[in-house]
Amino acid sequence: MEKNEAPWTIKHAPKRIDELVNKDAVLKLLNFIKTWKPGGKVALIYGPPGTGKTISVYVIARELGYEVVEMNASDVRDAKSIMRIAGSAAMQMSLFGKKGKIILIDEVDGVSAREDRGGLKAIIDVIKSTQAPVVLTANDAWDPKLSSLRSVCELIEYKKVRETEIIRILKAICAKEGITVSPEILKMIAKNAEGDLRSAINDLEAIARGKKTITKEDLMLLAKRDREQNIFEVLRMIFASQSARRAIIAAGMADVDYEMLLQWINENIPHHMEDPLELANAYDALSRADVYLGRIHREQNWKLLSYAMDLMTAGVALARTRSRFKFVKYNFPSLIKEMSKTKEEREILNSIGEKIKRRCHVSVKRAITEYLPYIVIINRVNPSIGEKLLKWFDFNKNEIEYIKKASRV
Amino acid sequence: MAEEIMWTEKYRPRVLDDIVNQEEIVKRLKSFVEQRSMPHCLFAGPPGTGKTTAALCLARELFQDTMDANFMELNASDARGIDVIRTTVKEFARTAPYGGAPFKIIALDEADNMTADAQQALRRTMERYTRTCRFILICNYSSKIIEPIQSRCAIFRFAPLKDEDIAKRLRWIAEQEGIEVTDDAINAILYIAEGDMRRAINTLQAAAALGKVIDAETVYKVTGRARPEEVREMLKMALDGKFLDARAKLRELLIRYGLSGIDIIRQIHREIFNLDLPEAWKVRLADVTGEIDFRISEGAHEEIQLSALLAQFALAGSQIKRGL
Repeated sequence: MEKNEAPWTIKHAPKRIDELVNKDAVLKLLNFIKTWKPGGKVALIYGPPGTGKTISVYVIARELGYEVVEMNASDVRDAKSIMRIAGSAAMQMSLFGKKGKIILIDEVDGVSAREDRGGLKAIIDVIKSTQAPVVLTANDAWDPKLSSLRSVCELIEYKKVRETEIIRILKAICAKEGITVSPEILKMIAKNAEGDLRSAINDLEAIARGKKTITKEDLMLLAKRDREQNIFEVLRMIFASQSARRAIIAAGMADVDYEMLLQWINENIPHHMEDPLELANAYDALSRADVYLGRIHREQNWKLLSYAMDLMTAGVALARTRSRFKFVKYNFPSLIKEMSKTKEEREILNSIGEKIKRRCHVSVKRAITEYLPYIVIINRVNPSIGEKLLKWFDFNKNEIEYIKKASRV
Repeated sequence: MAEEIMWTEKYRPRVLDDIVNQEEIVKRLKSFVEQRSMPHCLFAGPPGTGKTTAALCLARELFQDTMDANFMELNASDARGIDVIRTTVKEFARTAPYGGAPFKIIALDEADNMTADAQQALRRTMERYTRTCRFILICNYSSKIIEPIQSRCAIFRFAPLKDEDIAKRLRWIAEQEGIEVTDDAINAILYIAEGDMRRAINTLQAAAALGKVIDAETVYKVTGRARPEEVREMLKMALDGKFLDARAKLRELLIRYGLSGIDIIRQIHREIFNLDLPEAWKVRLADVTGEIDFRISEGAHEEIQLSALLAQFALAGSQIKRGL
């Protein structure tokens, strides 16, 4: 066996678009890149590890004859270096012919708020001025850190790779490597990988390299992969719980914070509780959890958080008294995008409120709820009158921009 | 080109006599002007009933051209801490009135949002500087004003405006603006405004931005507020056990129409009595609606609270079907 052979994940990486997994997502990405024009959105491709996100960018670039300028988590990603690398690539069109570049910023959810100071903001700046399509990858598109990015992104979801698909690919690799493996063993490797194709290939390589046949004993090498429980499993554990303690413990394993967990549970209650009494009781528990959260926010009384958790997990789970637990497909919380306002957004709303207050004798809060919506509507249906109103309020450039943007929605 | 300003300001009454529907209050305030004397006042009442306007008119008539120097308007929602009371308010209150005015006036709007500490501090300031300064506290709920302050004030309760009074004002404004408003449109605005003149006028202005003729359709279109039918439809879905559809509708109302949870729950409350339900159930549903209304004011997420309410409607629907 050659000594310097590349790992199988690279050696057997797909070369053509039709070899990629997650076909739907790949086609969306392909279409995004082909139709992209300066000023357009950015693609945020997201999904669990090993679902073909990064590789698909390279394969598509190769097929289209584009160059990929990549930054990943191993680079330092503070504002300066992002602007230096991606920024310069973003600004200049390729000198050589018409073919362009794709800027790939890998694992944006790994950009640290502290070490990579200004990193996310720099990414947004690059996005604004880019002359080349930008593709971001992330495991979790719903990370609160990314909320300001999400609004300028086209989201493309990469799903866990199906077991049958993993088996098919493992089989092909075995064939190329000249290894004999029983379907049963491949199935076990695939199952253990839990939708992560890369880890399946790594596992296969670990037990099969240099062998011609693999036996069940070889499988003992395969340690159960230890993962942070992802949100879907946590939800399943919570909803399946028949004891309060188990539901509460399950919540503790989640890799999301309590706000997100609340939204996930909210989104998925009706899928588990079809019985009207169970539904009403589950929602009553969630509603009371929310009341605790309100008190926590108002009074900064974090002692109350554990009661909120009790209600949103055990309270919801134990509402299921008559029907049996069944497996359901979990949905992403749909309100997240709308609800999370960024700090900048809140600041600008406040300054708008201050200006309205000066003119209309109301509090900032009431200015925002009672006046701003009408100002926005007037700007939408009649920009010339709207313009004059904006002048009367003496809004500055940023404030006007915000209102105009709102009125285009 | 003519200036365009918010009609609530353009048509805000300048003199006490123009204030709509608060005859008794206006009569007493006018006597304050005549006698050039007044007690501390507490104006309480729902939004858009003329409280701030009354304070502004009173000050204008009393002070005339020295109004700027003798009148200060503060919004307690924005400056509700004790510091503001100790500094800004005190500074203004303790110095002598200008230009021969009998006293100064401080209007503290949304005073019910002041912290209890700030209210205690205010109470002393009120006492100490009574000779140079009178206070007008404006609030929605007088119950949130501490008793010692209430006892130092003459309390004026502003009644919700009657629909016909709002309608009259809207027609008058339409006339000034040279626009035509159908009766349907007026009714639609009244439905939306719920006795709040400010909201009624803002709605009229937004509708007028679309064209010179305003009908009900225009009103709903520009305000983007829920049509009554949509709330009703949402409740019917829930009662029929189609919870997911009802929840989708709710989200549409919240996101696309930009309705607040409070708006929606008020509409739900009104719709309950239009629904084809056994009478006893209407009362029960009003009760759970009230509970959720309360929780919205305590809670953090309107969408969750309203979903919980829809789940209660779904439960009610199934129990009614089973004859419970």
